[in-house]
Amino acid sequence: MHEEAMSRVSPARLKEPSRESAALTIGKVARIAQVSVDAIRFYEKEGLLSPARKSDAGYRLYNEDAVRRLTFIKHAQHCGLSLAEIRELLELKSRGDSCCEDVRGVAIQKKLQIEAKIRALKAMSQALSELIDICAGDRKPLDECPILAALESSLAKGPRP
Amino acid sequence: MSISVEVFSTPGCGRCAQATETLKSVVAELGQDQVVWRDVNVLDELDYAVELGVITPPSIAIDGELVFPKLPTADKFREELTRRLNMAPAP
Repeated sequence: MHEEAMSRVSPARLKEPSRESAALTIGKVARIAQVSVDAIRFYEKEGLLSPARKSDAGYRLYNEDAVRRLTFIKHAQHCGLSLAEIRELLELKSRGDSCCEDVRGVAIQKKLQIEAKIRALKAMSQALSELIDICAGDRKPLDECPILAALESSLAKGPRP
Repeated sequence: MSISVEVFSTPGCGRCAQATETLKSVVAELGQDQVVWRDVNVLDELDYAVELGVITPPSIAIDGELVFPKLPTADKFREELTRRLNMAPAP
């Protein structure tokens, strides 16, 4: 009797919190996590998220874990992590034998990838600057265009190793 | 002339330390006058690491060239160093 009375007073604090809190519809969880419903469906398809349960009518129902997971995914995407990398992090997070060092390793690898991309983009930008510099931008006919000529000669040389 | 071996990793990486210890022993076998080992912290020398194409440390560069993007076995490492040492006297 006593337990029954307690559960009426504060149900959320008692047993089965996950089932009690698994009452967020897809629309509601989308609003709380500030993502679109389509994004949630996509993450589910990609195996990054799953509903806590389904209602009797077959609707997906989520709990606060889903909101936390969506926030995690959003933040990770802001850091440039791909869905595969996010999946790796989520797997690390749930594995008992992983540690912070493993997560740091993923972050360092991503940073190296981003730095390599920045480097490649800078080289492209520099190549474009060189092309822009050789052309005065006057109204010469196209067959005298130095940029087109330079591109053709570069192509003739083939791609750089 | 000695060969330069640069090992790119991050401090605190237990697995890296364990794996590189085995490779260090290969260098010791060949003699430190022949092979010079340098530990490189990718975060301290990020530009250099990126320049060589290090993406998934721990990685190994030999004479300024990324030869092992992932750590090799001790046998493969020894084989590569021996090959280079044998080539070294040639002009």
